[in-house]
Amino acid sequence: MEIMRRMGLNCLIAALAGLLLRPCPAAAVPGPWDPPAANLAGQVADLLGPGQVRLTLRNLSSIPADQIPAIRKLLVQDLRARGITLAGAESANEVRITLSESARQRLWVAEVMEGSESRVAMVELSAAPVEAAKAPGTLLLRKQQVLVASEPVLAVLETSAALLALEPEQVVLYAHAADGWQEQQRATVDTQQVLARDPRGVLALDGNGGFEAWLPGAQCAGSIAAPAPPAEWTIQCRASDDPWPFVQPSAVGGAASIRAFYNASRNYFTGVLAPSIGADLPPFYSLIQLPRPLGAAAVLIGGVDGRVQLVENGVLRPVSGARDWGSEFAVLQSGCGSGAQVIVSASGDASSDSLGAYELSALEVVPASESLMIAGTVTALSTAPDGKSVLAVVRNAANDYEVDRVTAFCN
Amino acid sequence: MLRRFAISGLMLVLALPLMARTRPHYGGTLRVEIAGNPWQGPDGLARQLILDGLTALDAHGAVRPALAASWKSDDNGHRWQFRLRPGVQFQDGSPLTATAVVMSLNLACASNCPWTAVHAVGESVVFTADHPVPQLPTLLAGDAFLIALTRSADGQPPAALIGTGAFQFTSFNNNTLTLAANESCWQGRPFVDQIVITAYRAIRDQWLDLSLGRADVAEVPAEQLRQAQQQRLTVVRSAPVLLLALRLSDSGALSNSVLRAVIAHAVDRSALFNVIFQKQGEVTASLLPQSLTGYSFLFPADRDLNKANELRGGLSLPALTMAASGDGTMQLAAQRIALNLREAGIAVQPNSNPAHADLVLCRLPLQGADAAGVLANLLFSASQSAPAPGPDVQALFRTERNVLDASTIVPLLDLPRAYAVGDRVRDFALRADGTPDLAAASLEDAP
Repeated sequence: MEIMRRMGLNCLIAALAGLLLRPCPAAAVPGPWDPPAANLAGQVADLLGPGQVRLTLRNLSSIPADQIPAIRKLLVQDLRARGITLAGAESANEVRITLSESARQRLWVAEVMEGSESRVAMVELSAAPVEAAKAPGTLLLRKQQVLVASEPVLAVLETSAALLALEPEQVVLYAHAADGWQEQQRATVDTQQVLARDPRGVLALDGNGGFEAWLPGAQCAGSIAAPAPPAEWTIQCRASDDPWPFVQPSAVGGAASIRAFYNASRNYFTGVLAPSIGADLPPFYSLIQLPRPLGAAAVLIGGVDGRVQLVENGVLRPVSGARDWGSEFAVLQSGCGSGAQVIVSASGDASSDSLGAYELSALEVVPASESLMIAGTVTALSTAPDGKSVLAVVRNAANDYEVDRVTAFCN
Repeated sequence: MLRRFAISGLMLVLALPLMARTRPHYGGTLRVEIAGNPWQGPDGLARQLILDGLTALDAHGAVRPALAASWKSDDNGHRWQFRLRPGVQFQDGSPLTATAVVMSLNLACASNCPWTAVHAVGESVVFTADHPVPQLPTLLAGDAFLIALTRSADGQPPAALIGTGAFQFTSFNNNTLTLAANESCWQGRPFVDQIVITAYRAIRDQWLDLSLGRADVAEVPAEQLRQAQQQRLTVVRSAPVLLLALRLSDSGALSNSVLRAVIAHAVDRSALFNVIFQKQGEVTASLLPQSLTGYSFLFPADRDLNKANELRGGLSLPALTMAASGDGTMQLAAQRIALNLREAGIAVQPNSNPAHADLVLCRLPLQGADAAGVLANLLFSASQSAPAPGPDVQALFRTERNVLDASTIVPLLDLPRAYAVGDRVRDFALRADGTPDLAAASLEDAP
């Protein structure tokens, strides 16, 4: 009410000054400082009542200094509207206003001094979000949240109508509903294995319309009978030390699946593949199959020793330019540039990760996008069945797991 | 010889651009050196590695489920029910049960607990209290309420500390504590196979061992942070997680609140900050830091000797006793405060027993993201209580002001914790309380 009245007064003054060349912004939205100023002035008036005060204002917050005069003006107007006018040093009453903030929010504090008595009024304001600077790149990566889970998510797989998530001891089926993915079914997997601190697992299409799930010491096979809620599926799990699938059949031009033996106690793949790709591989954390210009596929591995290597025509060769890479990568068929890029997690320490797109040129990887900042640690990346997006599993600071869809736009 | 070095160097340079960052490696032994007792709270590193709480604080200080998978409160916060996480085992293989949790809590807190009674009800632990305890989940994340096995399968107290944490006790000989990875930890096996903690090691020796590659993690006291940086140690420091405070008895010689107020006005925080703590941390007169509330500046931190003398007036002042809990720096700080008080006409004598001293210089925890929870935890650690504040910042301020008006706690400085870390350690991070999260650390050169 007070704000409206003030806006009306301002309009009148502006009109009298001959400035009303365009319609008065009677319906304009109040500025961000109007509500807290009015609130604080109201609290001060409740404590002090009408009268004269000395007013001091100091800024301990991140509010830019050039905005302080406007805030002071608002406060003075709001106090005056409640019968409190400013006086000089002779006044016994003083109002000390401090624009402060904590790590979470802004706080405006008024200390009302009447003689030796001091009382306090406060107004909480939410801190303004900081816009991240955007820089151009050849490719623009974007992410969209798909799912949030409180339990660890080791892998995700999106089929035509359902989403599967692999947890350390369960496979979870989600179906698409009006308000996003909704959990439908859970199946427990008896792993009989020591759980790692950063547990891993794989979900993959089986090439026959079904899916397979792999955890240390266990394997599940299943199919989705009815994807719409209430979704139905069949799933059977068994103990297994068989190699894990590494390439989803439809992800990269329908290439045949490669399987790799997994060392559960050290959480890496031993380097033994089935079928063999003609080269002796070192132990590795990640493997993807890359489309190559001449139609043949190459395999890119992220070794336990931190080296990224390419296997092409049965020859293993080191790739340069991957120093900033983390251990997670996946192929994205963006249609931009060479048509396909490698989406890679960054090498930074846990709390704030990022994703970047890279092009493989000969034996060198070249950045193809600016970094897409991720609030948390990327723990798994997988290519969606159509190849046009990548699903990223992110563990945030609160230890919740978030699944994001990452897509690319040509710049 | 030189040529071989040059070639090796060139190969190293050529190899570097090829290296990407990998997942953390499993295996190896992490060597940690500390100046204090690894078992003693609140800095008891071993306790935190071996034990878990019903709840825990994440890196930002928010309360998260730990041994309790979920919880709810009824009756306006008078009754809390914590449902245990299924399938969790103690390190001796025995299952975590509600009865075991209750026995542990009763042993940890025999009196002045935040609750009136705690019971096992099926797979849940139920707390009841005469007054509302809205911050109970935050309180249960504290070091005091970590869950330990109190009875082995044979009904006897276990020979060593047994919990559900990431590491289990192996041996403690010649001040060297060895902990092994808990393969069946509910949070997953930690990355390193073993942690060796060398206790009671002087800071200078810790840093020497670190620089010679004989240790991986060493302590950096707040007052030596600048020195550590000058020595080019890799230092990880927390936000302020400790409140240096003077705890005043409200009985005996200090039963007069005016005398306590005299002490509060006479203490010179700036001298402590500039001289003893080498300008590390922040001067404060509030219980909660400015970063948590935004109103800390409302409590003036400047020394006011005139006000102290004015309040003292004609009061006859008996000699007081003061103890300092902690290391040599705390003793120095206590001596400095004794000088301050002498200038206000108060004689202070040292006392080695904090339980019988009028004044105790101590460090209190400032852990958590919820200001009301941090305040509750701090007051519990200081053996004080206050009504639970309302949800808004004004109510929190009123509660804090009421506590400070009683002058039984005089806040002095907010201090960080810090550690120096060797080159082979990866993903070294600090918990919300500033202690190292060693279960998340791994070694670059692990086999």
